[in-house]
Amino acid sequence: MYCSSFNFISASRSMARAGLLCLVVLVLAVGAQALTPTHHLTASDVARLEARLGQPFTDLQSAYFSIVGRSKLGVTVADSDAACQFLKSNLDPTNIESLFYAADASQALSGCEIPVSNETRDLLMAAVSEDSTVSQIYQSVSALSSLGLPLASQEVVGALSARITKEDNVLGIIYALHTAARLSQQAELGGILEEIEDLAARLDDLGGLFLQFEEGLETTALFVSAAYSLSDHMDMEPPLKEDQVIQLVNSIFSKKSWETLAEAFSVASAAAALCNNRFHVPVIVTAQGPATVSHSHPVLQLQVTDVLCQPLSADVVVESASSVASKNVVLSKAPFALRDGVYELNFMESRPASGYYQFAVAVTGDSRLIANHVELKVKVSTEVAITNMDLSVVDKDQSIGTKTTRVDHPSKSKGSFMADSHQNFAMSFQLVDVNSGVELIPHQVFVRLHNQKTGQEVVFVAEPDSKNVYKFELDTADRKSEFDSMSGTYALYLMVGDATLQNPILWNLADVVLKFMDEEAPSAIQSKTLYIPKPEIQHLFREPEKRPSTVVSNTFTALVLSPLLLLLILWFKLGANFANLSLSPSTVLFHIGHAAMLGLMYVYWTYLDMFQTLKYLAIIGSLTFLAGNRMLAQKAVKRLEGK
Amino acid sequence: MSNSVISVVSRFLEEYTTSTTNKLKLVDAYLLYILLTGALQFLYCLLVGTFPFNSFLSGFISCVGAFILGVCLRIQINPQNKGDFLSVSPERAFADFLFAHTVLHLVVINFIG
Repeated sequence: MYCSSFNFISASRSMARAGLLCLVVLVLAVGAQALTPTHHLTASDVARLEARLGQPFTDLQSAYFSIVGRSKLGVTVADSDAACQFLKSNLDPTNIESLFYAADASQALSGCEIPVSNETRDLLMAAVSEDSTVSQIYQSVSALSSLGLPLASQEVVGALSARITKEDNVLGIIYALHTAARLSQQAELGGILEEIEDLAARLDDLGGLFLQFEEGLETTALFVSAAYSLSDHMDMEPPLKEDQVIQLVNSIFSKKSWETLAEAFSVASAAAALCNNRFHVPVIVTAQGPATVSHSHPVLQLQVTDVLCQPLSADVVVESASSVASKNVVLSKAPFALRDGVYELNFMESRPASGYYQFAVAVTGDSRLIANHVELKVKVSTEVAITNMDLSVVDKDQSIGTKTTRVDHPSKSKGSFMADSHQNFAMSFQLVDVNSGVELIPHQVFVRLHNQKTGQEVVFVAEPDSKNVYKFELDTADRKSEFDSMSGTYALYLMVGDATLQNPILWNLADVVLKFMDEEAPSAIQSKTLYIPKPEIQHLFREPEKRPSTVVSNTFTALVLSPLLLLLILWFKLGANFANLSLSPSTVLFHIGHAAMLGLMYVYWTYLDMFQTLKYLAIIGSLTFLAGNRMLAQKAVKRLEGK
Repeated sequence: MSNSVISVVSRFLEEYTTSTTNKLKLVDAYLLYILLTGALQFLYCLLVGTFPFNSFLSGFISCVGAFILGVCLRIQINPQNKGDFLSVSPERAFADFLFAHTVLHLVVINFIG
């Protein structure tokens, strides 16, 4: 039983090891696609940053940003005495913020001492407590350390930890990190160091390219400088992955002009932190000029710098260079040579064919370098020459070339060529690389015919056959429509172009006289009438239906009413019993009510709507009903009596 | 052939004039009037066209409806049909006739436009 459990443990351990191996391979595979910075500062951007920070300062805060910012960029202040004097005169010894700016700025200037009184010292030390905000603690601790005054690190740590739990905002924690970097290393800064990881988790990932706080660029830049300053102070690697650092680089250096001094200062601090820290130094690899090599310029030049465009000394090696089209590896493990701060490689020595090449460049030498595997696309361009250009006019029926003329570039054929509907005009040529003699298939090989008189031009594409010989044939009968059947002299041009060709060609080869049958007068050029205003469209409103004339309708109205007359006559003849009409009130009321209802119908037709009519009808109808009921009952009684 | 038709018609007319009561003849005259009115409306529509169609329909339906109601009234007050209408007295029939006409007129006036 003991043996079996032991076997089980060892089996599970080997499985775990296999699993771990898979995981490592996977991570390596993923890591091979590491990010490289897409946004970085160029030399002119760095100069602009320095100029932004170097503007004359108006108050203590701007003086602090300017002096300290420029010192981070490695630029010394021009007139340090005047600056020092400015600091001393604008200092307010009762204000912690003012003391902070003056103290830190004076630290950056050489030989600038701010006089400190006992009250100042007491004020600063009193500010270190749980009741002040984190920024106040930061400012007082920085002032104390810059002025060389003693400070109780453990007390500060305690106050900071208490404040961090109360104020959970990002900027506060960043200030706490900065403060901790100023304290003695003996203090327990581990708790504050862990805040870096928590803060990193609060960064927003934008499209996998950018990583920044929602508070903005300044906060992100301050975070970077704080994290690295504390990590350097404690000699512990910050918990930021390589990809995260590159994403932070993209975010911070995507903005190339800075509105406020505070923003410029934060960017300068972040840049300085990323160049000078002990753990992560992002590498920026850019080609000097366009990444193009050719016979005249065989050397590929690369600039390898840190984020502040300061050149790095490292080993730069091409891991592999492969053609984009054919995926053949042309170069492998070739080193770049350093010359005047630029890394050079003579790529043409490998005799590459023209086209695009994918370079995988590795920068090694310093273990701190990150983003040091870069992919570059390099273009190899060449010059093209046209050889064996033969022009001929071929008879359609016999297919015997009547005349083949060889033309050499760039001269023009002396005689012109005639082609009418019985003949085809043919052209064949080859395009070769001037340096290597290899046949080329450029992107654009066009044959253009230009009618000088009418300004008409027609462009055809020449295609290569299987032996890479270009052929073009013009069948005048077939292509009549393209030429609009305009006979005349056409100038023949050959156009050759490609992204990898240094000498695109436009060559007037010859004149071709084309004769078309059924020549029509050129149709009125449509384009002229295309842009004038078109005739106005009149809107036809719906015409009312045709009604018959008034005479007809009046006649028929009379006709339709005429049967009423007939009815009255008939009733009279039949002897309607009007004599029996009793004049009892119910009868009278009934008849009046009935007449009123009929009158209401007329009024409904002309004035009222259904609801009003129903209302009136209800009133009149009920009256009529009651009266009618009475009347009919009386009649019934009379009838039954009469029986 | 035509002889027999003429003789049938004349016999019918004779029977009609003698054996129908005055009351019924009054109603018949009314029915004839309605019929003529409807026929003339239809003739107008055929000649001139159906615009406006709703007016034509309402006029024509009014005639048709009135004719039907008149026929109902005639059936109900005919003393020879008394056996079929034991619960309906002639007065009741006339009251129904008037009520139905009210509804018909309401609809017709609504539709006439």
